[in-house]
Formats: sequence, structure tokens, C-alpha cells
Amino acid sequence: MIKRLLGVVPVVFGVLLLTFLLVHLVPGDPIEVMLGESAPMADRAKLRAELGLDQSLPVQFLHYLQALAHGDFGYSIHTRKPIADMLLIRIPATAALALCALAIAIGLGLPLGIIAALRQGKWQDGLATLSSLTLSAMPHFWLGPLLMLLFALWLGWLPVSGMSEPGSIVLPALTLGFGLAAILTRMTRASMLEVMNEDFVRTARAKGINEHKVILRHALRAALLPIVTVVGLQLGSLLAGTVITETVFGWEGIGRLLVESIEKRDYPVTQACVVVIALTYVVINLLTDLLYTRIDPRVRFAS
Amino acid sequence: MKPGQVCKYIGLVIIMMTTVFLLNACNRHSGQDEIRSAVSQLPQTLDPRYAMDAASARVNRLIYRSLVDFDEHSQPIPALASWRVLSPRLFRFTLGPEGRTFHDGRYLTAEDVAATYQSVLDLPDSPLAAEFGNISKIEVHDENTLDFFLRDADSNFPMRLILGILPLELIATNHDFSAEPVGSGPFKYVSWRQALHLERVKDKQRFRLEEVKDPTVRVLKLVRGETDILQGDLPPELVRYLQKQHSLEVQESQGTNFAYIGLNMRDPVLSNPLVRQALAHAIDREAIIQHALVSGSRLAETILPPEHWAGNADLQANAYDPGLARELLQRAGVRLPLKLVYKTSTDAQRVRLATMMQAQMHEAGIALEIRSLDWGTFFEDIKRGNFQLYSLMWVGIKTPEIYHLAFHSSAIPPTGANRGYFMDKKVDTLIAVSDWTNAAARIHEQLPYIPLWYEGQFAATQKYITGYTLQPDGNWDGLVDVRRSKLRSVFPGKNTLEGFK
Repeated sequence: MIKRLLGVVPVVFGVLLLTFLLVHLVPGDPIEVMLGESAPMADRAKLRAELGLDQSLPVQFLHYLQALAHGDFGYSIHTRKPIADMLLIRIPATAALALCALAIAIGLGLPLGIIAALRQGKWQDGLATLSSLTLSAMPHFWLGPLLMLLFALWLGWLPVSGMSEPGSIVLPALTLGFGLAAILTRMTRASMLEVMNEDFVRTARAKGINEHKVILRHALRAALLPIVTVVGLQLGSLLAGTVITETVFGWEGIGRLLVESIEKRDYPVTQACVVVIALTYVVINLLTDLLYTRIDPRVRFAS
Repeated sequence: MKPGQVCKYIGLVIIMMTTVFLLNACNRHSGQDEIRSAVSQLPQTLDPRYAMDAASARVNRLIYRSLVDFDEHSQPIPALASWRVLSPRLFRFTLGPEGRTFHDGRYLTAEDVAATYQSVLDLPDSPLAAEFGNISKIEVHDENTLDFFLRDADSNFPMRLILGILPLELIATNHDFSAEPVGSGPFKYVSWRQALHLERVKDKQRFRLEEVKDPTVRVLKLVRGETDILQGDLPPELVRYLQKQHSLEVQESQGTNFAYIGLNMRDPVLSNPLVRQALAHAIDREAIIQHALVSGSRLAETILPPEHWAGNADLQANAYDPGLARELLQRAGVRLPLKLVYKTSTDAQRVRLATMMQAQMHEAGIALEIRSLDWGTFFEDIKRGNFQLYSLMWVGIKTPEIYHLAFHSSAIPPTGANRGYFMDKKVDTLIAVSDWTNAAARIHEQLPYIPLWYEGQFAATQKYITGYTLQPDGNWDGLVDVRRSKLRSVFPGKNTLEGFK
């Protein structure tokens, strides 16, 4: 376990270094972004020196690490606001959306996958397969407006977009959740089919255990490992921000912040967003590994 | 994980989803008393000393008052103050009685004006510092009068003084005006969390400006009654869709924002005037205006429109004539088809316009390759001169000094916006003597830009919204007098149904 935790350190350092280098290698001058096109060269040089941008890259990276250690991500070039404040608003918004989408995905995908596996070859299986294929084939930029038309305009149940009204989260969460539910349905079905033919399931049935218990306690638990892997990876990408969905629904999340910062060449914000997203992936992967040991004790013994 | 736990978990998810749906079944829009506007871009900063983008300029006009404003011909007129030219390098400003109370209750004086401009000069990172770099000294005489001393004579100096005035005491304490703006304008800042909330000072009417990037979503919000006002930034087919909605009112008017194609004069082919003329004759602007732009759009020949005090109404349009364009290219010794690269942003409307021009130019023997780039890359390429042709728009231009910024040989980046590296001694001379009419004529003749059109303005509002007026440059001054009738409060859901039918 400690070994696994220590392994995170070089990964995080690598992420910070790569992000720093990439952002500094992208063409464009933050000083020009701040002062405008017609600023005199003397003013540019003065501001460059004040911000420490005239120093060598290793020195700048060292200063960056020092600031980061104190939770200081710097300031946005465009808004002049502290980036940490911007992230504190955006991260909870993305997290809320990601968790709702995940809840929808698990709520739909898991039961549908189990039913499809138990009714293999029957109409329920066909329906689950067809719906999961259809949902996974729908891109978010198309599904989102379709849900808006249905739930906001025709039925009038939910707001079109934004974050201020109650229920604003439902449509973006459904847009994201449906796609993930489709993947989970397929994954659960395949995993359950594999497990249902195992000896321990047959033994459980032979012992006269109730069929529901056989499915949920014995089969599903054994089938969960690949499902958890997929959920972990998908949660990572959801927490990293879902740019299209956030943009379509006006959701003030981290994905939208990242894209806007790239468009505006707001380098410090881009850098901070990439670091946060990368760290999120690292943490989610770590948590997924920990969850394996809870689901399957053999994983713990092996490690 | 036990089966019971799984069942409980799934049950919990279902209950959660049902609750949300039930909550929304009786969903009512929040902020029933607010007037709401959905905009494509919210301001980047509410501190006027840092404002560079159009949205910031539009909102800051509402929160702050400036010394000078412009009339319908873009002539400078007194706003907070009137002025006298005491000498070519000395201007005296006298504050009038209007707009003298800051939103925190303090009285606006000449000291506040001096402190505001001095702070711009002192800030190391204000993009406006260069604009006011000619000020050598600001001297306050009394609470109503102050003098601006200039290093060099500048007859256009009053036109520059459109910066919002800030309170001296707050400047002294390094107050964060972007987070908590305090001005003396018609609107008072309330809060900015997800949406920007303002309060109109004269009647305490609340306003909500919400950023909605996607044009289709903005339209859906208006049709459903989630917003009250939309202005600009929609493709014409969506405007036509809005015009068909019974619950909405659509206003249209002429605009002044100038769209153009920029040419790189360092390019060996484009440096030939015959080729530039051929390009001008190869675009059927009237057809594009008729089919792909909102009504109110009109042909443009130069940056400043004919009604501008420095405009030139006598410039002759280069008519669409692909035969003549082809002939000009042959006279220029160009082998056809002439291959050119045209850069534009990823905005769907801009790409559509580029595609139309590509088809038209094909008739003239020009093979146009369209490169659609994300805004950051696109604009970076333009600033670095990494292009053959590009298209952009000048927004909210009021002063003829734009000709200096865009065409003077000393304004080559990084010291200006002469991005096509246009160098013409005659233009430089005309600009130097402020002969704007002839400068416009010479530029029109030399074609460093292919002028396209002034894009029309439109606004769509709910029928219960009255008094909203469109501004030619697309600013949001219409909010100052807009009203909402009481009808909506009585029948809150009515609009949605009508809108959808």
C-alpha cells in the first residue's frame, strides 16, 4: 500500500513538469495578452521582470513549485483574480455534475446489464443491448439539445441551461449519465455472463440458496471488478470536466474553464486546470485500487 | 458488498432522481422580478482600468460614468464633464452636476478623476497605460475642475477620456474593483456568482446577465421564458425563427461594426495591387448580406461608417465581377487558379461566410483554402503575421485614430494593429494631419483590407419587455430604459406555451 502511495509522487512531479513545459512552449506571450498589442516595449520588459518571466525556465519552475506548495496557483491574466478562487468555484460544480451522472449511470447501467445477462437471448436482452448501443452512439452535443427540447421546451419540466434554478443539474447529468450507463450495461452484461457459468455459482444454487442471493451476493460481487475499473476511469474523465456538456448547458465547471483559458491564452489558468485534472486522475486511480481490495480480498493478499 | 446494500443503493439513486423530477415538475423560474439577459460573453473584468474586451466595455459603461461620451455621429460630447482647449497641450475639464454620486454614497470630485487616470498610468499591468501615456501631469483646481497636461499636442485627446471614474479612497486602498465595482453609473453592482446581477439605481430594478455560449441554447431559453432579452450573436436563421414566435418581439437596425478581410502585404502575390483589386471584385457581398446575414447589415467601404463625422460617403464599391477579377489576375501575371489560404475562427457563422466566399472566388479563378482555427491560435497567427488572408471585425470603433492603429507604418505589431504590414507614405501623411476622409479614400484605393459589411444589430425580447433600444455598436445601453409589464407576474407560464406554438 505504501509502495502504491509512494508511486504517486513521481507521477505528480512528472505531471507538473510536463504541464509547465508545455504551457511555456505554446506560442504566445502572456505579457502581450496583459498589456495589449500597442504597449511600449519598455512597459513590456518592466512587467516581464516584475512577474519573473525574464528568468530561466528552471528558476521559474522552482518558483512555481514553491508557490504551489503554498496552494498558490497565481493569478489569471484576463480576470486578474486568484486562480485558486476560480478553481474553488469550478471544482465543486464539476464534482456535483460528475457524481450525479455517475449515479444515473449506475442506477440504469447495473440493473440493465444484470437483466440482460440473466435473460440472455430473450427480448429483454435485445432491448437492453439496443438501448445501450443507441445511447453510446449519441454524441453529447446532440443528445444535450435533444433532452433540452424534450424536457425543457415540450414538457416544461426542467430549465434549459444554467446552474441557478433547482433541477438545473438534471439535464446535463442525464446527458453524461446516459452515455456512461450504456457502457456499464454492456460491461455488466459481459461480466455477469462470464461469472454465471462459474462453479461457485452452480455450487451456491446446488446448496439451495435463493436465486436473488445467488445473483447479487455471489455472481454480481465477482463480476464487479471490471465494472469498478470502468467506473473509476469514467469518473476520472467526468471529474476532469466534460467540456461539451458544460458548454452546452452553461455549467460553470472546470472543463469549460480549461477550454476558455486555452482560447484566451490565459496560461496560468490553463496550467492550473491541467494540474488539477491530472491530480484528479491520479487520486481516482488510487481510490479504484483501494476499492479492489474491498471487493476482492485476494487482491489485498497479492499486494 | 451485500445484496441488500446493492438494492438499497439502487433504491436511493431512484428516490434521488424522482425527487429532483418532482421538484422540477412545479419548477418556476427564479428571480421573477429580475429582467434577464442571456449573452454570449460576460465581461472579463469589471475594473475599467483593465477592460479590453467588448463585453467588459459594455458592462462598465453601465456601472461607471466617464468624462466624455459620443453622440450618434461619434462626435465626443460631455458626459461627466465639459472641456476647453487652453492650448494644444492643455485641456481643462469641468465636472457638471449629473452623475456625481458614487454607489457607496460619496460625492464624485475632480480628485477622483485625477486619481483614476493617475492610477492607470501607475499600474504596471494596465493595458490602457499606453493609451494615456501622453499625459504628463494632471492638476486639480477645485472639486469640479482639473487640467490635463500633455507631452505632445493631441486634438483628439477628449475622445480618449471614456474611462470609468473610480473613487479616490478605494484606489488608495488597492480596492479590487473587478470583484466589487463601485462607480457612479446608472447601474449598481449586486453580485457575480454564475450570473452577473446589477441593480438600476433610479428604480432599483434588478437585472441578471447570464453567459450562454451556445446560440441555440440562448434561443431555447428565450422561447421557454428563461430569459427576457437576447441581443446579437445569432445566425440569421435563428433570428428568423425568433421572428415567428408570437410571444417575442424582434427589433432590427443598422450597425457600425466593420467586417473585413485582412491581407498580408508581405506576401509576394498579395503585395500586387492588381491582385488585391481582383479579390475585391471576386466577392459578391450583396448576395452574402442578403442570404447569410441579419437584416440591417449593409455594404462597407471603410472602417468608419458614412454617418460618422470622419466617415467618407463618396467611396465607390468594388462591384462583384468575377470576369474582371480574372482579367486583373491575368494582368498581374498570376497563374490561375490562384491558391490562397484564408484563416478564420471556428465560429460556425464565420466558417459559413468563408465557404460562400470560397465558392464566389472560384468563379474568378481563385482557389481559396479555408483554415478554421480555435480563437487563440487564430488570433495569435494574425498578430504574428502568419497568414495570407484572414477575416475579423472591428467592434465599437468611435474615433478615426483607428486608421493610425490599423494602417500607419509605425503601427506594425508589436506596437500596433497593422497586422498586414501595410506601408504607404501617403496614408501616413494623411493620418499625421488628421485628414481622415482622404486617408480613408487612399486606404480604400490601396486595399490593405477588403471591406465587407457593417453587421446589422438585432434584439429579441419577450412581449412584456418594453423600451429596449438597439445601439449601432451593439452596446447594452438599452438596459437603462427597459421596462417589464406586470403581465408576466400574473401568468408566469403563459409565455412558454405561446413561445413554443
